[in-house]
Amino acid sequence: MKMKILVDIDLCVGCFACEVACKQEHNLPQGPKLMKVVQVGPKEIGGKLVMDFVPMHCRHCENPPCIEACPVDAISKRNDGIVLFDENLCIGCGECIEVCPFGAPQYNPEKQIMQACDLCHERIDQGLLPICVQNCPTDALVFGDPNSLSERVRQKKADALLHRRFTGSSGID
Amino acid sequence: MKKNKSKGNNRRVVRTICSGCHCACGVLAHVEGDKVVKIEGDPDFPMNEGSLCPKGLSATQFLYHPDRILYPLKRTGKRGEGKWQRISKDEALDLTAARFKEILDKYGPAAIGWSWGDAAYHSCWWSKQAWLKAMGSPTNWHSDSHYCWHPLWIANRTTFGTYHASEAGMDYRNSKCIFLWGGNPVMSHPTRARDIMIGVKNGAKLVVIDPRFTQIASKADLFLQIRPGTDDALALGMLHIIINEELYDKEFVKKWCIGFEELRERVQEYPVGRVSEITDLNPEDIIKAARMYSTVRPSIHHCRMGVQQNSNVVQTCRAISAMIAICGNLDVKGGHVGFNPPKGYRSLGSILESPDELRLSKEIEDTRIGAKEYPFLSGSESLCWSCAHPPSVIHAILTEKPYPVKANWFLNDIALCLEGQRDAYEAIMKLEFTVGSDFFFTPTMELCDIIIPPTMWLEKDSIEELFYNTGHMDYVGARQKVVEPLGETMDDAVMDLEIIKRMGLEIPGPWETPHDFFNYQLADTGVTFEELKKRGYIAGTIEYKKYEKIGFDTPSGKVELHSSLLEKHGYDPLPYYKENDITRVSHPELAEEYPLNLITGSRHIAYFHSNNRQIPWCRELEPMPKLEIHPDTAAKLGIGEDDWAWIETPISKERVKMPAHLTRVVKPEVVHAPSHWWFPEMKGPEHGCFQSSINLVLTIDGPYDPVAGASNLRGVLCKIYKVEED
Repeated sequence: MKMKILVDIDLCVGCFACEVACKQEHNLPQGPKLMKVVQVGPKEIGGKLVMDFVPMHCRHCENPPCIEACPVDAISKRNDGIVLFDENLCIGCGECIEVCPFGAPQYNPEKQIMQACDLCHERIDQGLLPICVQNCPTDALVFGDPNSLSERVRQKKADALLHRRFTGSSGID
Repeated sequence: MKKNKSKGNNRRVVRTICSGCHCACGVLAHVEGDKVVKIEGDPDFPMNEGSLCPKGLSATQFLYHPDRILYPLKRTGKRGEGKWQRISKDEALDLTAARFKEILDKYGPAAIGWSWGDAAYHSCWWSKQAWLKAMGSPTNWHSDSHYCWHPLWIANRTTFGTYHASEAGMDYRNSKCIFLWGGNPVMSHPTRARDIMIGVKNGAKLVVIDPRFTQIASKADLFLQIRPGTDDALALGMLHIIINEELYDKEFVKKWCIGFEELRERVQEYPVGRVSEITDLNPEDIIKAARMYSTVRPSIHHCRMGVQQNSNVVQTCRAISAMIAICGNLDVKGGHVGFNPPKGYRSLGSILESPDELRLSKEIEDTRIGAKEYPFLSGSESLCWSCAHPPSVIHAILTEKPYPVKANWFLNDIALCLEGQRDAYEAIMKLEFTVGSDFFFTPTMELCDIIIPPTMWLEKDSIEELFYNTGHMDYVGARQKVVEPLGETMDDAVMDLEIIKRMGLEIPGPWETPHDFFNYQLADTGVTFEELKKRGYIAGTIEYKKYEKIGFDTPSGKVELHSSLLEKHGYDPLPYYKENDITRVSHPELAEEYPLNLITGSRHIAYFHSNNRQIPWCRELEPMPKLEIHPDTAAKLGIGEDDWAWIETPISKERVKMPAHLTRVVKPEVVHAPSHWWFPEMKGPEHGCFQSSINLVLTIDGPYDPVAGASNLRGVLCKIYKVEED
């Protein structure tokens, strides 16, 4: 089954805990962040201040452009869809950065290689959640197969619609 | 539970409690051999339910940091010269006890004090206090007691008594409407942010009142970008609407409140037009907020440092407390539930407040520095955990008035944690004897004569009371030693008991070891400390409307909207608005030279006060302080992103600089600077503490809040200009 990490933007408060949980799990030095919370805003839109926090990580694409771009075949895809970077093969050239639509690959200056979110595959194989998902204080990060995740999104949007129909405002406003 | 099974065969997992801040989160520490290899949140601990913040997650980097002080040290050069000699534990304790004894004999007990300001030292609050009581010294002081938590508690207690301190027992998860005043718990109290978001998920409305558009403000249904330091006016304006529109809980007011008519009369001075002018808020938003708070119940007022670090804090918090009470939010599910500790548990607070236990005699307490000026903060009538007024202690060291303070035991970085930093630094230099117990060479530790390094939370047993119990839970947990202490570090409480004995004094209670004290606290719970360690925590039963059985713990037994305690001491018994001391309103003549309004001291989640600047995963999140300035203001001043800028105020001769961050978080006339900045990588003894620490441009010379002695750190006129040299 293909598993993904979904981000619920409404719940992310920008606490950076996922970044550090990931760094501990992958024993990373200062610099590379396999999970990074990007702050957008504050901007003034319609006279109102708005700001979002967007956790960014490897999306484990179906046809990952990074695999095509890697000159030494260091990137591969497991049967369950997890994209993995092979530390022993990677030469740290950074071709993968240029093609990734999410800016996911990170350079590790200690190991002089590229790394990206590996969906904590060792934890998943033991039946555990990816560490960022387990640690998220607001459940803004959710782990599951894409269809169960879209069910969750559908339910949330449908709830908001009902709320709007009967109260004249969305569930959030 | 499968989720947290250990990884390797030789790995064991130990449950304990973090003390990176006041949250006290449950932790699973993974240990291989004698080494902690990983920290995870404990999914079965109610405070955090599996989550942890960057501070807790970086704990192994703290524990094994190459710069951590691991052995007792004696200064050999001049104070601050950085010349040290390693000494044995015994020698350190003997030397310290002998020097304290000398000063005790020469100047009397009050000349010896201890100070702290950091969650890492909760576990020795009792033993340091035992040491003071053994000597008969009233000189316990914190870096922040005059404007952190204590003023709110004084306001709460004068209004509705002991049991419903609004800092504790807020039931976010079950609330329908959560008001956050001057606080961004995402950065300062992550577990509270988590509970607030659970409340929001459960349908609560969120209202944020803050001069900054913070993370939590970005989730708000209503955001009021108030002018700094005018929360008193807003609270009174909201009361005006709630009372005049009769939106309050009439039955509760009739049965349980006194002074309602006087309050009604007082708030007539604050019609919405006037309040709008004072606060820079739209009248519509003020009306909306007042109606939301009073009609979408149960509701919560969570009021934090942005409110408290002002010189009218007690009356501001009194107005907010009155609003909590008259809207029927006291001790109801989803409101302010107060304390519900485990049955029979002797809390640290009750032991500190009991004259038969660790409280000093009335006669001694009334000589405490600040007792005369701030009896509710520092005297025998204290309405918080009685402690000296920090700015007055600095003055006492420098001027020997009202009496000399000659020696101090520093548990954290006082040099950076007090407004008027140059004075604090000079005061430390002037002391005859300084002993320090901290983990790293901070600017304060650099000025100590003896350093006795403490154990970190992963290396010790203790009881953790929840500073921040929330309304749906109240319990005490066991912190347990995960690994043996590194080097020759010592549990603070063990140090204190040793010092008492080596000074030839008597321990003021049946406590030969810290474990004796833990079991004393637990004696009537039916659980020993060993059992508590196995269980993790024991919880109390949540009970609502306790006042129906026991009344309110005020002189009248009622909620005192008109406070008899304040009246007795000559304070205004009703809340009022007072403009902050150095603003464009109170001092328009200064506004030409100092046109901007400076707020200081917001937190970053990577840090707690001056901690963690040397921890790589923390420092990476916020490598440098940032002066937040609106892009339009920055453009006028010719300041670009990351340009260094100077900050000056009319209340200090100093100036500080830090890189600018252009952001609409603040309004064009407001700038914000974070506090407690130093740079462990810069040269000692100062480590750059006079470069960017915003406390340098603030003052300990007042004016202070008349009741709690708070200084004004939020909303001071300032000027900003670009740093031209390299």
